[in-house]
Order: sequence, then structure tokens, then C-alpha cells
Amino acid sequence: MEFKLEAHRIVSISLGKIYNSRVQRGGIKLHKNLLVSLVLRSARQVYLSDPCPGLYLAGPAGIPAPPPQQQPGEPAAGPPAGWGEPPPPVARASWPETEPQPERPSVSHAPRVGDEVPVTTVTGVGDVLQGGEADATEAAWSRVERPRQAAAGEAEGPAGGWGVFPEGSLAARRPCGCPLGGEDPPGTPAATPRTACCCAPRPAEDEPPAPPAVCPRKRGAAGVGGGPAGCPAPGSTPLKKPRRNLEQPPSGGEDDDAEEMETGNVANLISIFGSSFSGLLRKSPGGGREEEEGEESGPEAAEPGQICCDKPVLRDMNPWSTAIVAF
Amino acid sequence: FFEKKLISFLFCLNYTADIISTVEFNHSGELLATGDKGGRVVIFQQEQENKIQSHSRGEYNVYSTFQSHEPEFDYLKSLEIEEKINKIRWLPQKNAAQFLLSTNDKTIKLWKISERDKRPEGYNLKEEDGRYRDPTTVTTLRVPVFRPMDLMVEASPRRIFANAHTYHINSISINSDYETYLSADDLRINLWHLEITDRSFNIVDIKPANMEELTEVITAAEFHPNSCNTFVYSSSKGTIRLCDMRASALCDRHSKLFEEPEDPSNRSFFSEIISSISDVKFSHSGRYMMTRDYLSVKIWDLNMENRPVETYQVHEYLRSKLCSLYENDCIFDKFECCWNGSDSVVMTGSYNNFFRMFDRNTKRDITLEASRENNKPRTVLKPRKVCASGKRKKDEISVDSLDFNKKILHTAWHPKENIIAVATTNNLYIFQDKVN
Repeated sequence: MEFKLEAHRIVSISLGKIYNSRVQRGGIKLHKNLLVSLVLRSARQVYLSDPCPGLYLAGPAGIPAPPPQQQPGEPAAGPPAGWGEPPPPVARASWPETEPQPERPSVSHAPRVGDEVPVTTVTGVGDVLQGGEADATEAAWSRVERPRQAAAGEAEGPAGGWGVFPEGSLAARRPCGCPLGGEDPPGTPAATPRTACCCAPRPAEDEPPAPPAVCPRKRGAAGVGGGPAGCPAPGSTPLKKPRRNLEQPPSGGEDDDAEEMETGNVANLISIFGSSFSGLLRKSPGGGREEEEGEESGPEAAEPGQICCDKPVLRDMNPWSTAIVAF
Repeated sequence: FFEKKLISFLFCLNYTADIISTVEFNHSGELLATGDKGGRVVIFQQEQENKIQSHSRGEYNVYSTFQSHEPEFDYLKSLEIEEKINKIRWLPQKNAAQFLLSTNDKTIKLWKISERDKRPEGYNLKEEDGRYRDPTTVTTLRVPVFRPMDLMVEASPRRIFANAHTYHINSISINSDYETYLSADDLRINLWHLEITDRSFNIVDIKPANMEELTEVITAAEFHPNSCNTFVYSSSKGTIRLCDMRASALCDRHSKLFEEPEDPSNRSFFSEIISSISDVKFSHSGRYMMTRDYLSVKIWDLNMENRPVETYQVHEYLRSKLCSLYENDCIFDKFECCWNGSDSVVMTGSYNNFFRMFDRNTKRDITLEASRENNKPRTVLKPRKVCASGKRKKDEISVDSLDFNKKILHTAWHPKENIIAVATTNNLYIFQDKVN
């Protein structure tokens, strides 16, 4: 259990570092980001391989976490702070309120109610999602990119909400303890591994991760609390509840939808990030392609500051970029 | 060696506004160059010994200061290029002038540092201030002569080697042929001729066709001190590859691969990070090489690839703190290491302004501190000890009270004498052992 907590925390911190590396002077440091991605992968593997049934914690970005052990002070930071303003401290305390009512995500990604983030953001991604795996991958990638573009401030600093991030264990786990990979889109049959409680390490699977992967991200960007790790969309408060757009509770996820959502989000994020950057991970269905490319090919293609710009995926990121830019 | 200890120290405090990023003695040890984050190079020169004062060698004083690199902007990529000097390497002296290579992330420059201590006077057609005289006013002729003047040290860039690296340059190393040198970035190593700036040869390229498959980067590279065809490069995975340029034009295939299997009992989230090699240095003899990873220094015999012959723990007490060090980014600190002139002692830096020395013969080690408060000139440096756990003895420092902002990343050892240069964040310290 502690491992999962630790793993989650490390994932949060890692994402923050990657995010902030975008604004570093002199461009993204390939070496450092590679190392961070390795840590991310290790943490993710631990996360995945250590089933803890019934165990979950509040997800990032203020997703309410029923688990009693969740300290009120747990940072509700979602995705890398850079995504938006720092999740207001209130987020932490407000977890109960932010209990997201799990909503079966409709692929159309109905704008999340109450999302302060421009609805376009969501729909934009949604459109991407609709496109199928590739698109979803791209969308996922775009989500990954978000932090980068919205880079701001130091990872450790509270700026951009990251401050919350590293400080606490934003563990969000699947109730079934299969944190990652549980983000199957509802009704997605293909995600067999997923349904199998997604305890199996992602790599083994060849599921269509994109849509689900994207989903949590999007929610995060929408500022919903509990979005994928590290996606407090700008302007969003943790009060938002994530839409489970394509998310399907993992098998065994008989728990609260909210919780699943959170964990799913985090899981997705982890899988996305984990499968990228280092290229060490087998191409995770979660769209390992783009991420890595974004990260590693950045310097090659267009130096760090512009990594994403070369990717077709970026075109789909406009809605997201709004959010990021807002940051 | 440690019997003598460092019993007197001369310190030269260099209040650079910027962070010192590299330190290097020249081949004779008379000059010491430092580079900083602001792109400046400061060269110190050892005073000629005052033979009367037999108990001390000359002090180091500022000899020359110049701006080596300026910040640049790559408009095509919208990327700022830092002016920070990553490495300085001296060329052996061939004439009155000194030459050094300095590099930032993208551009290497060859600088000539020359002295001017006389100037010509007595021109017929020019006034002393340089104005031209009206030829009609010249009634006599004289022969210009050199007259002494105050010493002026001039630095001028003689060559600029640019546009050869897509990634950030981390190393430069001059070949023992003194005609060529290599420069290494994260994924590639290039070979240059010192006279030719518009061309370089790529000799190592580990960039995968698909960047998604990137698993390791080059972290340091160095030419062998004696064999002009041999060089090594270290990776972020903790491996060192030795390459022979005679084998093929592109040395992607190593001749030797040095790697120690990981100790499974030490596995953690951060195992990979701490195994990344931050520095590699050949011994002066060329028989050994030393590598520095986050927690240890390893000495490798070039004839044995499967494990190092010696391993020294620099600050093992940090192993349980890796998560915190990851959070505050300290785990990414790139410590350098160096040999003494006789290859009997190795030195490297740590936190809290501590630096460590390991005597390879006696297997003794010592921890010293570079700080003004604790040292006065000509006093003996007091050994320090870090208390890893449990009861802290008097004079020991507990791990939790270490200041991780005070780190010594760069150290250098005089090639012939027991004089060391230690760079804290903003200050340069020079220590020497007593000459009795």
C-alpha cells in the first residue's frame, strides 16, 4: 500500500518536473527528462503491479477521496500545476464537495457541467477522441503536452498548482487497486486486459487505450477535480467533478464511480506519461507514440520549446492550448 | 597521503556573481581556469614561488577575465541558448601564448590568451597615441623600440566551432595528438580539427531512428591520455564504452563495454537515476578510468569490463533520502571527479560544501569542507564526518542538517603538486598541503 502511495506521489512529482522543464532556459534537457521518465515508468509499474483492492485515495486535482485515510491536507493538485492555476487550497478541503458524480462519459464529451475551463477544450478533445485510437492517442498526447505548454514556474513552487502536487500523495487508485488501465471507455469491449482489473501491466495489453486515456486527461483539463493526475485546468476549481467520458470502471470497480474516475484518471495519466518519454515502455496503447516523440524528438525536431509543435497532434490541442495559455 | 593532509590552505575567494560551472588546471598547473553560468572565464595564475618562503607555494591571483560566450537565441527553434560554460580544456603550451577551449551548450571556442608587457614606441609616422603625423613635419628618422609596459593579458577568440550539435554539449576532450578534439552532446560525439571550424566528423551517434525508443544518453566523453585513437563515453545507464577510431569511421560499436551489474537489493524507483554516470576521467597513466555516479566513485581497469576494481562511497547516507533528493532536484546534480598527479588519490564533491578524497593505496578517505567560516588561511583543514543515523557525536553533522544547496560539483587537482581547486556555488577555494 505504501508503495502505491509512494508511487503515486512520485508520479505527481515527475509530471511536475516534466511540465516545468518546458520553460527552462536553454531548452528541455534531454537527459533529465529521460531520467524523470524512467522514474515515472518505475512508479507506474509499481502502481500497476501492486493490487490493493478497495484501496483508493483522493485523486489529484481535488477529486474527493472517500478513503478515510486521506488527510484533509492532501493536496488536491491534479495534473502538473502548469496546467492551470494552482488548485486553490480550498480544493483540498473541499474534497467531499467535489465528489464527482460519476457520469458515464459520452463519447461526445458533453461539456462538463460547471467546468470553468472553456468548454471548447473538452469538446476539442472529445473530437479528437472520436477519431479513434490514433486521435485519442493524439488527444492523450495533447494532454500530456498541456503541462508543457502551460509551463510556468518551478516544479516545486506553488506556481501553477504544482506546488500542491509534489507535496502530497495524490494517490488515486482504482478501487480494485488497478490504478492504471482501468480507464476503459464504457462499453469498450476491447479493453480486455482492462476489464481484467487492469492489474496486468499495461505493456502486455494492446487495448485501445487512447480513448480512455484521453478521457481522464480531458477531465483534468476541464478543471474537474480528480482529473488525471496533473490536470487542473486553468481557472478550474477542484470542485469540478470529472466526467468519466470514456471511462469504464475497472472490473471489480464496484466502488464509487468518483473514485474510479479519479484513479482512472491518474492511471491514464500515468500510463500515458509512463509510456512516453523514455520509449522504454512498450508502446502503450495509451499513446506512447506521441508522448515520447514529443519529449525526445523535441530537441531534434524543434528544440524543447517547440516539441509539440511538430506533431500533428498539436493541431488538435487548440482547445487545450486555450487552457494552457490561460495559465 | 593523508598523513600530510591539507594542512595549510591558501584560499582565493572568487566572488563571482554567477555560479561556477567548470574548473580546470592547465598542463603545468600554473594556470587555473574557471567558467561560470554567465559565460565568463576567469583565469588565475600561480605566483612564481618566492624561494625565501619555502613553506608555501605561490598564491593564485586573477590573471585574465573575459566573456567567452553570450546568450544566444535560436530563432528557428525559438530556443534560448544558455551562455553557461559547460567545460574548459587547456591545450598544451606550444609558444608564449596559452590556448584553451571553452564550450557552452552549442558552441565551442578556441581562445588565445597572450601577454603583452611591452609596446613599441618611437614611430616616425604615428604619435604615441596613434594619431598619424603629418609627413611633412617629420624631420628626423628614428627606429621604434619596445619599451616595457604594465602587463596586459589579452584573450581573443581564434576559432569558433559552431552548429554541429543539436543537443546540449556536455564534454570536450583534446586528443593526445594535440590536433584534434572531440565534443559530445546527449546523443552524438563529433571529432574536430583545431584548425578547421567549418567541418566536424560525427564519430558516435546513438540517436535512435525513432526517438520513442530512446533509452540512454551520452553523459561524458574523454580521449585516452596516450592513445590518440581511443576514447570513452559514459551513458545515463551507467555504462562506459571504449571506442577505437581505427576500427571504423563511425564508432557506434564499442570496443569495450564497462558495466557493473546492478545490486538487486538496492533497487528503488531511483535506481536508474543514481546509476547515471556524471563524469568519466582517465588516470594520468591511461591504465584506469574513474566514473562518478550519484552516490559513488568507481575505478575501472581498462582491461576488465565486467566490474570496477575499486568502488568508493561518497555519501551513502543519502541512499535513504533519494525521494526527497528527487523532489528537490538534487538527484540530478552532476558531480565531477578528478585524479591527483600520481593517480594515487581521487577527489569528488558532495553537499554541505563537503568534498571527499579517497587514497587508493591506503584505502583511507577523508571529508573536508570548503567554507570561509571554518577555515582561516594557513590553518589545517579539519576532517568532517556525517552521522548517518543514531547518536550524533560531537563535531559530527547529521544528515538532516546538511545543506543541499551548498554543493561542490567541480573540483580540480594540480597536475604535479598537491594543490586543489574546489568550487562551491559562487566561490573558488584553493587548498594546498604544506611544504615542509
